Amino acid sequence: MIHAHRVILGLLLLIGMTGFATADSGRIVADLSKSNVSITSGFHGTDLLLFGAVDGDIGDDILVVVSGPPTDVAQRRKANRAGIWINVETNIWQQIPSLYSVLATNQIEQITSPEVLAELGIGTQNIGLKIVPETPMPGQAPPIAADFIAALQTNMANIDLWSNEIGKVKLTQNALFRAEVKLPANIVSGTYDVRVLQFRNGVAISEDRTNLYIKKGGLSAGIYNFAHDYSALYGIFAILFAVASGWLAAAVFRRK
Amino acid sequence: MLASMYIYLPIAEISMHIAIIIGLGGGVGFLSGLFGVGGGFLMTPLLIFLGVPPAVAVATEANQIVASSVSGVLAHMRRGNVDFKMGGILLIGGVIGSSLGVMLFTFLREVGQIDLVIKLSYVVFLGIIGFLMLLESVRAIMRTRQPGARRRKLHQHNWLHGLPLKMRFRRSKLYISALLPLGIGAFVGVLAAIMGVGGGFIMVPAMIYLLGMPTSVVVGTSLFQIIFVTANVTFLQSVQTQTVDFMLAGLLLLGAVIGAQFGTRASVLLRGEQLRGLLALMVLTVCIKLAFDLAIRPDDLFSVELLK
Repeated sequence: MIHAHRVILGLLLLIGMTGFATADSGRIVADLSKSNVSITSGFHGTDLLLFGAVDGDIGDDILVVVSGPPTDVAQRRKANRAGIWINVETNIWQQIPSLYSVLATNQIEQITSPEVLAELGIGTQNIGLKIVPETPMPGQAPPIAADFIAALQTNMANIDLWSNEIGKVKLTQNALFRAEVKLPANIVSGTYDVRVLQFRNGVAISEDRTNLYIKKGGLSAGIYNFAHDYSALYGIFAILFAVASGWLAAAVFRRK
Repeated sequence: MLASMYIYLPIAEISMHIAIIIGLGGGVGFLSGLFGVGGGFLMTPLLIFLGVPPAVAVATEANQIVASSVSGVLAHMRRGNVDFKMGGILLIGGVIGSSLGVMLFTFLREVGQIDLVIKLSYVVFLGIIGFLMLLESVRAIMRTRQPGARRRKLHQHNWLHGLPLKMRFRRSKLYISALLPLGIGAFVGVLAAIMGVGGGFIMVPAMIYLLGMPTSVVVGTSLFQIIFVTANVTFLQSVQTQTVDFMLAGLLLLGAVIGAQFGTRASVLLRGEQLRGLLALMVLTVCIKLAFDLAIRPDDLFSVELLK
């Protein structure tokens, strides 16, 4: 296996920790089966294995937070105007996580309190969502913040980017843990932040962070860069290709 | 193995099954060959229904229509069914109109109303055109069943024929003002840019009923000018919005050019008025579906869009 060395490294760390760590200060180390993911032409989402070692006691919990590169998101609300449903309000969320998923060994309520989560900035309700209303359209009221925030979670979950459910972390012998991190097909490229926390009696006693790098690769990166860096040339190329293939098809079919 | 059948579209930034894209191209291509329209009025809404961002669907479809129109026009050129002079005047108008259309599109996209304008344009124009065509083809079919009935004059003269800059169009047997095809070309050009269509479904009836062109040259001439209008849209969208997905267009046109060849052959089997009647029904179906979607309360009143 390509990543065997990482597993071995994890095990070595584990051995080291059990030797030196004191009884109630935990330690946690985590890594991903792959820290670079390329969005190539065949990309249809992927699952990564998050694994690691923890110096744990019975009853310890592990919580994992995966958050994607911050991005601006336009959220719109429709209303009925003259019999048709049209967008009447817009809110631009500035620099919110493009992906957000939480994984844990247990139900969140059984791991810790909402206050601790707020302090640690865990959960979409704790990431400081702030309404910045666009200039309201003439004759319209500014957006109602609470409605937009409540709908955002649902909207983002519908496009697979913010998970509604808590994923599973499997902890073995209070020492080794593993979890499957799901990356949907429509993920944004950039640096992803993975936080792994160890909880004991409702308190986070140790934390490790790791990064995941997602970038466009292969042909799909080539086309994307071509379109953005040499857009006029790209347009001409697209037209010429279309003319050539249309002509070719007609020629091929005429001969038959 | 199944996963490898998916393809990641680099500009649309979504993953789609390759068979869906090629199948969609083939099906719409067949209809476009059959009726002599670009097929965009079906393809663009279908792409949007499948999750392609509307801006990408419109711009990419313009690119794909270039290919299917080239493929289609060659068959008509061989039969001498293209009025190049008329096509030239129409496309000058079309290039001006589509350039304005792309500017309008960019503006509407920024204010978040592009989806609404795309859908409303579809409902209004497909509704009017579909209804008029249906009426006309029903009348035509009725006339052929009454052998004694007199044929309608090729076209009526009205104030439009009093406009200056008169030109002779030999292939169409017309002597009319150049401003008329120029204006029609420009109007259809604006719609082409906003709706992601070639505009054949408006151009063809406009040529028959407004210009009074003979039916035999209408389809070929329409396809001829569509090539240039959609090429112009492809270029301008590439430069202004970078929403032309070459990968998506390539796969769609792979299906479409093949489908269009079969469609062109099949069109010989049907009579003109039957063909127009069928097209009218299809245009009305798309119109009703879109109107229904606008009028029905959406499941979720909120929607999100990731901004770049």
